[in-house]
This record gives sequence, structure tokens and C-alpha cells, in this order.
Amino acid sequence: MQFVNDLDLKKQAKELGVKIWQTPGFLFIILGVITIFVMTVTYFISKNYDSPEFIIISESLVVVIILIIGNSVIRLIDQIIRLNKMKSEFVSVASHQLRTPLSAIKWETELMLSKFKKGLNKKQLINIENIDSLTTRMIKLVNDLLDVARIEQGRMIFKKSPVDLYKIVYEAKEDILPLANARNVEILLNCSKNIPKITSDAGRLKMVVDNLFNNAIKYTTNRGKIEIKLIKKNNSLVFSIKDNGVGIPEEQQGRVFDKFFRSDNIVKYQTEGTGLGLYISKNIIGQLGGEIWFQSVEGLGSIFSFSLPIKN
Amino acid sequence: MDKKKILVIEDEAMLQRALSEFLIDENFEVVSAMDGEEGISFAKAKKPDLILLDIVLPKKDGYQVLEEIKNDEKTKKIPVILLTNLESAEDIERAFNAGATTYLVKSNYRLEDVVKKIKETLHI
Repeated sequence: MQFVNDLDLKKQAKELGVKIWQTPGFLFIILGVITIFVMTVTYFISKNYDSPEFIIISESLVVVIILIIGNSVIRLIDQIIRLNKMKSEFVSVASHQLRTPLSAIKWETELMLSKFKKGLNKKQLINIENIDSLTTRMIKLVNDLLDVARIEQGRMIFKKSPVDLYKIVYEAKEDILPLANARNVEILLNCSKNIPKITSDAGRLKMVVDNLFNNAIKYTTNRGKIEIKLIKKNNSLVFSIKDNGVGIPEEQQGRVFDKFFRSDNIVKYQTEGTGLGLYISKNIIGQLGGEIWFQSVEGLGSIFSFSLPIKN
Repeated sequence: MDKKKILVIEDEAMLQRALSEFLIDENFEVVSAMDGEEGISFAKAKKPDLILLDIVLPKKDGYQVLEEIKNDEKTKKIPVILLTNLESAEDIERAFNAGATTYLVKSNYRLEDVVKKIKETLHI
């Protein structure tokens, strides 16, 4: 599969931001073709001329060509790695710098609401509450970008300890109840008894569960119903969350876990969302030794599930 | 009950002001330090009940401040809550190894939650 992907030069060129003839894949093919060509020529020359000088000269030529092309491949790869590193570092530095003014806005707004709430009229109160929720959203975006940078730099650190997944799920449900009530969405929690503890990272798992809960509610319109299951299956725990929301169009289902992906139909329902939540979730579950998957029918709803090994 | 004294070591003027104002409203006495050196001298001179400490600070950074406070007999028992926007695993580990009581990421905490943590730490 990887080999076939390597041969898709158009895609490679687009991803790397270079022209097709500059992609490592293309240069390797050229390298091969030239080597075969020169070898063949050498063969015929040596056959007809029977002279050692000719063989040495043409073989040297092959070596020089291979070195030149090989060198440009290596330089290109080197450049790409450097650019990637710079990009990740830029994201980390910019995000940290953004956090200070964002904290300041958040705290000033909170201060204003706590001190002067009584003096504000309804309209002013809505204005300030909007600033507050927008700031929270921006902080969430910055946090997500930092997580993406960490994932891409391989610096996301996992702290493993015995984890009670049921507790995480239950608490996530309690936390989201106000939002669910506001949107008229019913939540049903269905858990088998005796869910064993697993060795995992509680903080990261909470991020994944919160993200799946949020998605389920966000993309479910009025009078929705969300069913959550947590069961033990063989040597794994399987969590699933089913909603009767907007679903994901079939032709876009292959890109659900891609970075920044948001399906066409949800963009219409919800402008809020970064397209980073599921990308981050997939990486977390993968790093914790589990799997994440979904089933979805547009207009009917989705089921998102993940499994985690009990003994890791 | 006596007012508890909080030393806030924070160089960003707006964050310093917002924190102090909120703490005063919550009936705490506040001492403000705008850099690491000032923070250390106030920790020794003013005997605060708790210290809120940023990491990125002029003159001496939060780790140096924490180290000096924890190495001084007079100040080592004062609980220190790190309040910063850094949150890499190395930063957190370094802070706890140096003797921090709690580690909070500014942008993820409301002032109300910061006060809650302070009260928890002081058992009030």
C-alpha cells in the first residue's frame, strides 16, 4: 500500500509543495531508468569495442549520474525535514505567545462579570458573555494546535497509571449534561458491570471521551438521543457513542480522521469546530495501543467507537 | 479569621492586576512582585501564606525563585502554586521536583478556579 502511495507523484508533489519532477519518488524512478539505460549502452559498447577504457569511462559516467541525482534527492529530503521542524517550532512558539493575551482577556472578562454583573443590562451582558465564550474557543484552538505540533514532533508524552474508564465516561457525561439539556438532547449511559481498570493515560483518555461527547451533541439537532456503551470484549474495553445527528456523507468518510477535516454538511450546521479533535483522538488512542473507528449514514447519525487493551 | 497573605510573582502587568483584584475581592491580602528577584526578597520579608509564581520572569525565572525559596529555612514551608502558560511535560516535572505544590496552566483556569486551588492548598 505504501509503495502504491509512493508512486502517486501528483499527490506527493502537492503534499510536499514542490514540482512533480522534484519529488523524491520521481527522482528515484529517473535514477533507475538512467542506470538501466547507461548499463545497456555500456553493455553494447563493450560488446562491440572490446576495450577496457570504454568500460571504465562509461561505468564512471553511471556512478557520476547516480551520485548527482542521489545527492539532489537527499538535499530535497533534508530541506523538507528542516521546513517541517521549523513549522512545528513556529506553531509551538506562536501558541505559547498567544496564550498570555488570551489568558488576560479571559481573566479581565471574568473579573468584569463577577464585579459589575448587576450594573449591566441584558444586551451588555450578552456581549460580554460572547467575548467570554469566544475567548474560551480560541484557547481551545491554541491548545489543539499545540497538541498537533506535539503529535507531529513525536513529543506527546503519555503518563500511564491504573485508569477507571467508566469513571471518565461517567464524569464526561455529567459535565456535558447542561449543554445536552440546552440542546434538548437525551443521553443514555449503558455500561456492563465489572469494567476492569486498565493501564493507560487518564488525562488523554478524558480528552478523547470529551471530544466524542462534544461531537455527538454538537452535530445532533433538536430532540436528539445519544447512547453510550462501555463493554468488556475479550481482552479489550470497547467504548461507543451513538447519535442520531447529521451523519457524515459517504464520499467524505475516508477523511474523517484527517487533520483540519470538516465535512460539508456539518459546516452548514455548525461553524464552530477546528477539525482537529478526531485527528488528535486517533493519535492518542493509537499511542495507547487501541483502535478508533466509526459507522455513519448521512441524515441518520453516527456511531464512534474505540477499543483499548485491558492488559498493556 | 485573619486575612491570608498571597504573594503574586507575575511580570505581565494586566495579569498581575486581574489576579490581585480578584484575590482582594475574595478577601485575601495581596503582595505583588513584578520579577524574580523582587519575588524572592518579598517572600523573605513579607512572610506570605502562599505564593503564586509564573515561570517566564525577568531577572530570575520561576525555577530559580522556587529553588531559592525552597532552600531557605525561613521560606521553605510556604506552599508555591505555579501559574504559567508553559505546559510541557519537562516543565511540569521540573517544577514538582523543585518543590511546587500545584501546577496550573493560566489559559485553562478561570480566576475562580485559581482561588479554589488556593483555598484547597491553605485548607480554608
